[in-house]
Amino acid sequence: MTEFHVHQTDRGIGVIAPEGRLNMVSAKQLTEAVAGLIDAGAPRIVVDLSGTEFMDSSGLGALIAGLKSTRQAGGDLRLAQPTEQVRTVLSLTNLDRVLRARDTVEGAFDVV
Amino acid sequence: MSSEAADGVAHYQLIAPARPESVDLVHEVIAQLWTHEPAPSMLDRIRFETAVIEILGNIVEHAALVDPPDAHPRQFDLVVTCEADAIEARFGDDGKPVEIDLEQVAMPGEDAEDGRGLAMASAAVDELSYQRIGPVNHWRLVCRRQT
Repeated sequence: MTEFHVHQTDRGIGVIAPEGRLNMVSAKQLTEAVAGLIDAGAPRIVVDLSGTEFMDSSGLGALIAGLKSTRQAGGDLRLAQPTEQVRTVLSLTNLDRVLRARDTVEGAFDVV
Repeated sequence: MSSEAADGVAHYQLIAPARPESVDLVHEVIAQLWTHEPAPSMLDRIRFETAVIEILGNIVEHAALVDPPDAHPRQFDLVVTCEADAIEARFGDDGKPVEIDLEQVAMPGEDAEDGRGLAMASAAVDELSYQRIGPVNHWRLVCRRQT
């Protein structure tokens, strides 16, 4: 069972941390979490992937959808601390430039 | 789930409904495979597991396309084998035939939200093949172990 921990930082940045697998069963929850933060006025979102042990193409699709919806709302979606499997998926799909991984959640919006 | 391990060859079989919830069972089977020494490298394990889950996703998706939600779920069977030089998975399922030329599979554009599954599987492992034999779809994936 994948758990999604969602909160906002003092700077108004939304943080979503999927714990477990981001896959065809749980990807929809990520999309809902992104929509919830945008609705709450936090279109700048960091997805903390340090606890995401596995991601499939459905999970990746949800990240791309989140990237598009946050940008449409004037924000952005950034990834932080991906595990090795997630890094491998980003690399295999050539999406590691579009979804460039940041070293920390706190610093994900410090650099463009 | 059944298993055998002899002469350095670990072998597990799973039969389960072609439903999204079965993905956890497949992860469990693969985790069992890695308990046998010598376990493959982390990269080989990631390559293999990533590709297997994508093929499962394709099977589940095709089963859902042909069956109404309340239908008796279609089944798939999975055999995974870990040998000294390679890790192999074989899927069989009685879903709709898959009309695809694996040699033509390409990664979609950067903003695509789906359509990456088979391209990911193909990129992750060394061999990926599909055959329709009678009423059964057969998928075979091979990941040659890197030293």
